[in-house]
Amino acid sequence: MSTKPDVIRKCLWPACLVGLLITGVLSLDCNLLHFHLRKVTWQNLRLLSSMSNSFPVECLREIKAFELPQEILSHTQPVKRYIVEAFYEMSIQAFNIFSQYTFKSTWENDYLKQIQIGLDQQLQYAERCLEEEEKEEDDSKEMEEDGINHSEATVPQLSNLELRRYFNRIDNFLKEKKYSHCAWEIIRVEIRRCFYYYFQKFAPLLRKK
Amino acid sequence: NDTWLKLPGCQSVANTTCDFSSLKLNVYDKVKLRIRAEEGNNTSPWHNIDSFTLFEKAQIGPPKVHLEAEDKTIIINISLPGARDSVMWALDSSSFTYSLDIWKNSSSGERRTETVYSRDKIYNLSPETTYCLKVKARLLPRKNGIYSPVYCIKTPVANKLPPPENIRLDSKNNIFVLRWDYPYANVTFQAQWLYAYLKKIPGDSSGKWKQIPGCKNVHTTQCVFLQNTFRKGIYLIRVQASDGNTTSVWSKEEKFDAQLQITLLPPVITMKSTNDVSLRVYISAPEESENKPVNQNFPLIYEIVFWENTSNAERKIREKKTDFTFSKLKPLTEYCVKARALIEDDKWNKSSGFSDTVCEKTKPGNTSRTWLIAGICAAIFSIPVVIYVVKLLLRCISYVFFPSSKPPSTIDEYFSEPPLWNLLLLTSEEQTERCFIIENTNTISAVEETNQTDEDHKKYSSQTSQDSGNYSNEDESGGSKFSEELLQQESE
Repeated sequence: MSTKPDVIRKCLWPACLVGLLITGVLSLDCNLLHFHLRKVTWQNLRLLSSMSNSFPVECLREIKAFELPQEILSHTQPVKRYIVEAFYEMSIQAFNIFSQYTFKSTWENDYLKQIQIGLDQQLQYAERCLEEEEKEEDDSKEMEEDGINHSEATVPQLSNLELRRYFNRIDNFLKEKKYSHCAWEIIRVEIRRCFYYYFQKFAPLLRKK
Repeated sequence: NDTWLKLPGCQSVANTTCDFSSLKLNVYDKVKLRIRAEEGNNTSPWHNIDSFTLFEKAQIGPPKVHLEAEDKTIIINISLPGARDSVMWALDSSSFTYSLDIWKNSSSGERRTETVYSRDKIYNLSPETTYCLKVKARLLPRKNGIYSPVYCIKTPVANKLPPPENIRLDSKNNIFVLRWDYPYANVTFQAQWLYAYLKKIPGDSSGKWKQIPGCKNVHTTQCVFLQNTFRKGIYLIRVQASDGNTTSVWSKEEKFDAQLQITLLPPVITMKSTNDVSLRVYISAPEESENKPVNQNFPLIYEIVFWENTSNAERKIREKKTDFTFSKLKPLTEYCVKARALIEDDKWNKSSGFSDTVCEKTKPGNTSRTWLIAGICAAIFSIPVVIYVVKLLLRCISYVFFPSSKPPSTIDEYFSEPPLWNLLLLTSEEQTERCFIIENTNTISAVEETNQTDEDHKKYSSQTSQDSGNYSNEDESGGSKFSEELLQQESE
């Protein structure tokens, strides 16, 4: 009577192992890129923290809860590729946001430049990794030339949508506050929180082989 | 309890399509739609569409491409219709990447696909040839747009001065060496750099290129500059040739990552011989003259070369750990080792120089050691054996030369004969120690043999006292034995 679930359970483990093996094989080329992605993300975090010493008191009342999405990947052991995609999404969104700013003082603009350089690095590492994995997928299956792939899995789309909604809230906040100084301070803290949270959560998974 | 709102632009439409662009909606919100047909006052039931987000369903439209041709390159300028202030791509001003397909218009159209920025160039083309291309915009990771229409352009006659080619950057100690190839002599070169991220931001970055110090008007196909010119980050470098009158077009923009260019320094290696004829090797990071620990930029593995000092046969292994052991070596032999650091990913093909060679002799062999241990163990185990043998010998000797006064064992047997029924007879009695005054028969024999030396007499007395002690302090059965003897003697 209990044989069927047992059989399923027996088949599930090898299937999971095979799945992990496949993902391991797919990410072989990306190992160095994962290393650099983690390294550069951590450096950017520290850079974001190093700008100003303390948060200006007058901006405290303008703080808004942006609701950082805590569960963007549904599996407990997400595939490395989805993690890289999530890092890519948050990096490009952060890059977009910081690129909309210009400051009056030179040292602030220098700092901004450093952030953009750092984020660009993050982006390029993530992009290269995703492109390599895509090339491997291209070899195995045919991709449609035009239009959207409707056969895509819904899981990775969900992660990007949640992140996008979050950054959309940040973007609306900035537009609403007309890119004021307080708005800048608030979202700088917020983006740092976002990177820190996901770095803690997913960077160790990128390290595993 | 949903409150349904009328969809603007889709009320009372005669066609089967309608445009609701005027709806001010957050493209990331989930929405549901429902449609029904109406004819006068009759309405069909609602057809419901499952909830979706507009962004998910949105397709990236065909981009607009502007082309210019110069020398053997095509300059492209791509713009997305409505991207600047569109509602859909509000978050994506810098996010689009473009995938370009290019082919020669002639019959042999072999296609090349490249990823380009919005303002970019296509290099390595043939002069005076018509090329056709089409572009699609993409949002990584998964959103691909529709291809633009095909655009064609003819490349002009080649310039007198071609652009430099094959730009590469090498690093040595704390300098960078930029090299390129050029077919002609008697030209000067200049090199410029740009932050790579500026290419992502919409707008023209052509005015932002900066001169590389030490690389202006150089006469050789290389120039040298300090590593600290470029802090960490990703940069683009381009080189141009000039012969005084004319200048070539800029070379292909070569991307370089300052963080990945740094030289690997050779590691520091030490070796110790351990007790079981092995050599333990320790690898550590090199001392840095400046403060930054350079080698930590990469995950490193080490290539270790190991050989016997007398022979030339080398063993090469690759090891990620920095503390490991070579075992099963020959005892009392000198071995040498040297190592170099490699980047873990083979594709980079980058290694440091070899460390200093370190030599060390192995400790004496395990075989002689085991013999020694075996010998010691044998000695330890043989001691009780020896003692026993000596004791036996002494007993023999004392038996032969100094016979004991103990009665022969047969009498003992007699005495000990029926223990069982003794027990039966005497169990009811109290267990008290009985003491008898014994006429010691031994003393008679002792008297007989008093002419022997004192030592022997002493021996005897000790023996007799022993015997008497034995007799009186024995347990009940012994005592009963004795009483038996007495009874028998009395009876006789």
